[in-house]
Formats: sequence, structure tokens, C-alpha cells
Amino acid sequence: MFKNYLKTAFRSISKNKSFTLINILGLALGLTTCLFIVFYVVDELSYDRYNINANRIFRVNEDLKLGDNSVQYAVAMPPLAKTLKAEYPYVEDAVRIKNAGATHVKKNNVNIIENRLAFADASLFNVFTLPMISGDPKTALNEPNSVVVTESTAKKYFNTINVLGKVIVFNDHENFKVTGVIKDIPNQSHFNFDFFLSMESFPDSRSNEWLRSDYNTYVLLRNKADSKKLEASFPNLLEKFSGDQMKSELKMSIKEFEKSGSYFRLNLMPLTDIHLKSTLTGELGANSSVQYVYIFSAIALFILLIACVNFMNLSTARSSNRAREVGVRKVLGSPRKYLIAQFLCESILLTFFATLIALLAAIILLPLFNQVSGKEIAITAQSLIWLTPLALAIILIIGSLAGSYPAFFLSAFQPIDVLKGKLATGFKGGMLRNFLVVFQFAISIFLIIGTLVIYNQLNYIQTKNLGYDRNQVLVVKNAFELKDEASVFKQSLTQLPGVVNATMTGFLPTSGWRNTRIYFKDANLSQKESMFPQSWEVDADYIPTLNMKIVAGRNFSKDISSDTSGIILNQAAAKFFGFKDPINKTIYQSKGGDSKGERNVNDYHIIGIVQDFNFNSLHEKIEPMVMTYGHNSGAVSIRVGTSKIPALLAQIKAKWKAVSPNVEMDYSFMDQDFDASYRSEQMIGTIFIIFTALAIIIACLGLFGLAAFAAEQRTKEIGIRKILGANIGAIIGMLSKDFIKLVLIAIVISSPLAWYLMHLWLQDFAYRINISWWVFAVAGLAATTVAVLTISFQSVKAALANPVKSLRSE
Amino acid sequence: MIKITNLEKFYRTEEVETIALNKLSMEVNTGEFVAIMGPSGCGKSTLLNILGMLDDPDEGSYVFNGVEIAHFNERKRADLRKHNIGFVFQSFNLIDELTVFENVELPLIYTGVSSSERVKRVEEVLDKMQIMHRRNHYPQQLSGGQQQRVAIARAVVNKPKLILADEPTGNLDSSNGNDVMELLTDLNEQGTTIIMVTHSEHDARYSHRIIRLLDGQTVMENIMV
Ligand SMILES: Nc1ncnc2c1ncn2[C@@H]1O[C@H](COP(=O)(O)OP(=O)(O)O)[C@@H](O)[C@H]1O
Ligand SMILES: [Mg+2]
Repeated sequence: MFKNYLKTAFRSISKNKSFTLINILGLALGLTTCLFIVFYVVDELSYDRYNINANRIFRVNEDLKLGDNSVQYAVAMPPLAKTLKAEYPYVEDAVRIKNAGATHVKKNNVNIIENRLAFADASLFNVFTLPMISGDPKTALNEPNSVVVTESTAKKYFNTINVLGKVIVFNDHENFKVTGVIKDIPNQSHFNFDFFLSMESFPDSRSNEWLRSDYNTYVLLRNKADSKKLEASFPNLLEKFSGDQMKSELKMSIKEFEKSGSYFRLNLMPLTDIHLKSTLTGELGANSSVQYVYIFSAIALFILLIACVNFMNLSTARSSNRAREVGVRKVLGSPRKYLIAQFLCESILLTFFATLIALLAAIILLPLFNQVSGKEIAITAQSLIWLTPLALAIILIIGSLAGSYPAFFLSAFQPIDVLKGKLATGFKGGMLRNFLVVFQFAISIFLIIGTLVIYNQLNYIQTKNLGYDRNQVLVVKNAFELKDEASVFKQSLTQLPGVVNATMTGFLPTSGWRNTRIYFKDANLSQKESMFPQSWEVDADYIPTLNMKIVAGRNFSKDISSDTSGIILNQAAAKFFGFKDPINKTIYQSKGGDSKGERNVNDYHIIGIVQDFNFNSLHEKIEPMVMTYGHNSGAVSIRVGTSKIPALLAQIKAKWKAVSPNVEMDYSFMDQDFDASYRSEQMIGTIFIIFTALAIIIACLGLFGLAAFAAEQRTKEIGIRKILGANIGAIIGMLSKDFIKLVLIAIVISSPLAWYLMHLWLQDFAYRINISWWVFAVAGLAATTVAVLTISFQSVKAALANPVKSLRSE
Repeated sequence: MIKITNLEKFYRTEEVETIALNKLSMEVNTGEFVAIMGPSGCGKSTLLNILGMLDDPDEGSYVFNGVEIAHFNERKRADLRKHNIGFVFQSFNLIDELTVFENVELPLIYTGVSSSERVKRVEEVLDKMQIMHRRNHYPQQLSGGQQQRVAIARAVVNKPKLILADEPTGNLDSSNGNDVMELLTDLNEQGTTIIMVTHSEHDARYSHRIIRLLDGQTVMENIMV
């Protein structure tokens, strides 16, 4: 019996080749897109799950509030890890990881800059699953000056993985012994390092300070231990260990501190939440956002729906053509069951082919997808474990869903009606079909609007006046390595003809260093009027080099010696302190530490106000920030006044060589650094545009098919009208009108929805565009145009046909 | 009114070539009522389609009202057609989705008649065909005879000079068929030229002249008295 179904299905499919092609391709396209999104989502959700104990590992975060300022840290106090392990029996282990930052690693005699180094406690391998190829995980990081490297790092530096006992030289003089080689850390990890240096090599790690947080701290709880219970005990823990330090430094107890409206608290974040839900200060790497997982899953679902709708639509449209066949079959005694099975079988067979094509396409296009999404997804034997059942499920579920409507609709025909031709009017009466077309186009239009809004916002980011000029600025990023020579280097640059100006500091709006300090409005250091701004050390050339604007007062000057205690506030900071006329007012900073009778504060007198400039991403409002006058050799930024960049770059490199022959100069352009910080938005934009295009293509494929059926259904009518004098334009208009109406309805439905959702998306940006009416006009026009083009292809064909022929076929 | 000379029409399907009209010549004068008869497949419909400018001949000349139109393109033919010719078919060819009124109104829309004028003329002609009471019905709701009366109403609403009818009674019983023939005769008496294809000798008797075709050629002409 089944074989019979299959045979008939095959015949019916191959009888209508173009129909079959449109149907299979549409579905395959939809499925391919979905597969990619599934890959993406599965990848995002799998972060850190390579750890066998993933669900028992938590990171300790700190929330700090001081007056009106609050910060959430991904880091905690230096002594916290060992304290937790000692105090709580159900804390099986704890480990600290500290990013070591850019470091020179010597290979043969060349120093290579590496960024993926971290100090880690010896317990690292107890907590995280980082399989060791050689070496002893229990002891590898016990001793000072030990380092564990990944397999590919070993190969990179020694061309072999047998490197135990070999020596690696960091920063030209620190010798570390390789004590272990681990497998490369999976991409799906919220941290990714090539070198783990033993924490013992980092003296600061023995600090017992409880009032600072700068170590990423993870705990491994024992089986069935309650993380809530641990979290609940944190206030007491802090009271016990930090209370004394608080008293001596801030002259108050924790209770008093909290009474003044401030607090510092610890909380636990599950390891598996970090990648998608954590964007705190002090992360070990850039994390993603669960928002995108939701957005993409929704889009995948939509595209799948569009594709299925097509499938149903085309099948039902065709059903009126097959009504006669069904009628005859029924008259001949075929039971309804048989007919249903027959149609379902056809539909499942089509879905099977579509799925096959989709899988192939996904495998072929995967590298392209990786390039666009910045992922490194590979289809392995492991992915087949979930891919195979998924494919089967798709075939069965989509096949029977898409086939069910035509199956039940067709099989319910009364044979007598069919044979009398009562179903000839079936096309126009297809309410469901109209509804489905509207649905498809509503989604497509929604996606077009989404794309337009995203691109507008990205464009806005690109062109917004940020309060500084990022173009034509070359940043030498590792000036700090020049140590005392940095000033010499900077000075020598200003003599080059193409250099307009140069400034030396690591604090830059696009990247680089950040530093927060507490300033007080009164000399008694009252918490109430404290501010917690970015505090940057800059030189007198900083503001002119970056083309920032002084709106009141003046810039720092080399010639005024009191400027070392001068301070420049941005407008946000000035507003925060609420000075009417801030110039020459004084603000204060705690020196911290001891209190042996001497005055415990530094005074800063305000000499100028700089116009607000965006030093964080445009997601965030411009926060208060202050500049102090000092010597910081973190980086040298050069404003370039020539178009001959390569030549100038060569000269700058020569100057660098003159002061530092052994170290490579590391540089970038400020506008590129800026763009890099919006890479995730750029990527979303690109992905959105691809999905939109796909959704529209799929919807149009369906429309194309439907228009073909409409034209076919109405051949007779078209013939009659032509005989009665209708011209080609009138016929095309008549055939297109019905579809255009549907597209217009879709515009009306999707516009407000799109407005609302994109409005929500934009809320994430402190600086954002308004969604203007033309976005909707353009989206509507685009959808209508595409629809008209698609339909007219069929209508023109129908309109041009000889009416005599169409009437003959009746 | 109509003069065709040595008209030829071929149909090529893959390897077979059918000669549907073979050097056919004939003339129809204004005000005549002509019946065309002949066995199935002899080329009657083909001839009617060419006369109705729905199709173009492969060879020969077709002069309509003194104008040679054999070489006219589709657009010019359509223009001439919608102002001069009305059609009646065996299978009525009404549009199922439109009401009786809307069906009859169509030719007026395509010749750009204003809507108030359209209402007037449609009602006039529906009245004449005695189907006024059915104006808001759909074709499926009418009997065959009624449907054909609607089709005739539609053919004459534009006041064409020529009506072409392809077996207008073929799908009707004899009483309904006679009604249709009476209608055509009336129209002819009011001055409309009529060319009708028929299988029925009975119907042919309503005409002035019978042209008999065989294999695309005229074999005989009888003048009715
Ligand atoms: N579109 C066509 N393609 C091929 N052959 C055709 C076509 N139209 C008519 N014929 C052939 O031309 C001949 C005349 O047909 P027609 O004029 O319809 O005959 P009838 O006298 O029955 O109306 C027939 O042999 C028919 O098969
Ligand atoms: Mg015929």
C-alpha cells in the first residue's frame, strides 16, 4: 500500500515540474536559513558547557554603590577565593583568573606581542575542564614562574607539543618553565587564553585587601550544594573580613557605609549565564547577548513559517486543479483515508527532498556563514547526533503540517460538486490562502523595516558628532614599553612634517585604559556628594590633538605649574556636582591608606570644562569624567595632517626604532578602533539584511507560484475579457490587484508592530535615531514593487496569450 | 461589409500540419444574416475567429468595411473589434465571478463609456432580453437559455455592426434555442449583420444564406427565400 502511495506521489510530483521546483526550492531555502540560525543558537547556548561541572561553577560578581554611582563588577577581592574555600565546606574549590594583558613572548630572538595570557591559581584545573596532554594538572601551577600553554601555542613556539620543562621568556626578562600542555580551549568559552601563568608569579595576588576588586573569581560548589545559601551568607562574610579595613580606610563601619546609601555586595552568577547575560566591568572577554539569540530564533521561526505557508499555499492553490482528479477517484470509490494518505505522502516526499537540499546547502555555505557571523562552527560527528533527529522531525512535522490542509481540504470535496465544476471558483474564495499571503508579506515588510532601522542607527553612529575627531588619528598602542623614552619619542614625532599634533596617554575615547576614582565636593569627604567618574591622566596636547572643545575655562598648560593640581571636568561631571560656575572651584580626593594626623585629601581646582564626548559606546549615556594633568605613557596618539599615510608611518616607525630597536611598534587608527567596537551591531545588520532578502525571496517564490495558479485558473476569464475588448494593461491590473491588496493589508499590519519592536531595540542605545515615516514608506514600496514584479511576470504572460486558445481549452 | 479572398490558416503541431482554411473566399454584405455549416473540424470556428479578428490569417486578404486588416497587429485589431463586433458562444463564456449586470457591462467599460451611460444601456438591453429581474444573479444561478440571453445582451450592448455566433444554440434545448434564434432575427431586422455557425438545419433556416464548408473550403452556397 505504502509503495503505491509513493509511486503515485512520485508521478504527481514529476507531472508538475515547475510547481514542484518552486515548492521544493522555497522550502529548502527556508530550511537552510533555519539550519544556520539553529547552528548559531546552539553554538551560543553551548558556551562553557564543555566543563563537566558547568552547573556547579559560579562566578562571584560584586555590586558597588557609592552615593549616586553604581558599578557591577565581574571581579572580586583578591583574598576572596581562598577565603571562600576555607570558610565553607560545600565550596569544593575556588580559582582566580587575572588577565595579564599584552605581553611580549620571545620566539627565537623575536618578541611577539600576545594578548591571551592570564594568571591563574593552581586550582584552575580542578574547577574548569581543561584536559592536560602532558604535565600534572594537580601541580602544574603550584610554583612561581610556571606556565601552562595550549597545544597550538606549544606548536607555535616550539614546533612540537613535547615542551615540558622548556623555558619561555616573557617581556624580555621573565623566565617561565612550561609545566603543562592543555588542549586548546573550545571556542565556546567565555574566556580564551593561550598561556596560564601560575598566580604565585604575581605578587599582588597575595594581597589581603578587601576594598578593591580586580580578580575574576570562580567557585566550584559540591554536588547538591545550594548556591542561594552561599549567596545569603555573603553579607556576614564581608562584615567579618572587610569590616576592619573599612574602618581604617573610610573611617566608618559597614553599617554606617550602608546608611549613607552606599553598599558593596557579592553575588553568584552561574557559569553558563556568563556568555549571554553578563556585560559587567572587568569581564575576561567580550560576551554576547541573549537578545540576539531571541531575535534570531524568532527570525528563524518566521522564515520557516513563511516557507511552510508557501508550501501550503501552493498545494491548496493547485488543489483546485486537482479537484477533478479527486472527484473522479471518489466516484470510483476511493475512501477519504486513502486520499488523505496520498496527499500527505506527496507532501512528506517533497519535504524530504527540500530537507536534503537544505542540509547540503548548509554544509556548502557554512564557511560563508562563519565569515559573516564571526563564528567557527563546524559540522562534526557530534552535530549529527542532534542534526539527524532534527532533520527527521522537520520532514515529518513540516511535511504533514504543510500537507494537511490540502489533504483534508481536497479529500472533503463532494465528488458531485467537483464534477459539476462548482470548485472552479475555488481560487477567489481562498480566504485562508489570502490570510497566509498577508502573513508572509507582513513578516517580510517587518524585516525590511527592521533592516532599515538598524542601518539608520549604524549610520547615525558612524556620522554622529562624538565630541572628538577620530579621523586621521594614529595610535601607537604600546608606547608604555618605551618607559622613560616615551616622551622623547612623542617629542620627536612633533617635528615630522605630516604630524599636526601628538599626545601621550593611555586614556583614549575609543579604547585603552579606564580608571575610576572617587571625588568629593567637600573636604570632609562626605559620601553624599561624591562622584565616581572616569579619571584620566592626560597632557596639555590631549584636547587639541583629539579636537575636543573647551566650553569654559582653559586647557592645561605646560607653563602654569599649578596645573598639576588642576582638573578639567566634562559637562556631565560639572552638572553632577551642580556648580553654577565651576571654574576655580575645588574638588577633593581621598588619598586612602594611613591617617597619621596629616590631611588625608588631595585638592583639585577646576580649570576648564570640556564638551561632553562619547568615550563609551553609544549604548551608554555620557558619564561624568575628569582629566588631570600628568604623565601617562600608555599610548601616543598622533593627529596626521597628510594623505601620504604610508610614508609618514615609515617615518614614525623609524623614530620608534631609534628609541627602541628590539620591540615592534603596535599601532592602529582611531576610526578603525571605533568601528571595531560596533562590530556586533554591524554583524547583526549584515545578518538581518541576509535574512530579510531570504524571507522576501521565499515569499516571492510563493507569490510567483500563486500568481501562476491565479492566471491559470482565470485563463477563461482573461480570454473572455480580451474578446470583449480588454487591453493587456487592464488584464495585468486585474490579475495584480488582488495580490496588491493583500500586500497593502500586510503593510498596515506589520508597520505598527515593526515600529514597536524596533523602538524597543533602539532603547538599548542612549544615543539613537527616531524612526521616521519614510522607513515605512520605503518598506511598503519595496515590498509592493517586488510583489508587482513577481506577479506581473505571470500576468503579462497570461495577458499576452491568445484568447482563442484559452477558450478552446475549456 | 466583409470581403475575404484566398484566406489560408495552418496549424502546426510538432510534425502534423493541419490546413484549417484553404484558399477560402467569401463576401458578406451589411445587414445580411449568414449561417455557416459543415462537419466538425472543417474550420468553421477558425473562420469565425478570423472574421472576429481574434486570430490572424496566414495568407490571403480580409477587407472589413473597406479596410484591409489581414496584416493588422493585435492592438489595432482589438481596437476595431471592441467597437464593431459582438460575440456569442456555444458555451456562453460568461464570467462566473461577475453578476449578470457586470457581465453585460464589461464591453462598455473597455470602450470607455461613462458609468451613468453604462447603467442606462445595460438596463435597456437587459430589459429587451427579458432578464432584467436576474440582473444581480450570478451565471451559475441561471438556466442555459437565460445564460445565453445574457451572453447575447453582452454581445449587443455596445451596438456592434456585426455579431458572430459560434453554435449559439448548441448547449440549449429546442425551445430555448428557438428563443435565441428569434432574438438574433430581431437584431438582424434592426440592421445588425449576423454570421452564425450552426449544426442545425432548423436554425440555419432563420438566415438569408447558408455557406457550407468542407475541409476549409466553400462547397456550396444556398440562398434562402
Ligand atoms: N489551436 C489549434 N491547434 C491545432 N489545430 C487546430 C487548432 N485550432 C483548430 N485546429 C484544427 O483546425 C481544424 C479546424 O478546426 P475548427 O475551426 O475548430 O473546426 P470546427 O469546424 O469544428 O469549428 C481542425 O482540424 C482542428 O483540429
Ligand atoms: Mg467549432
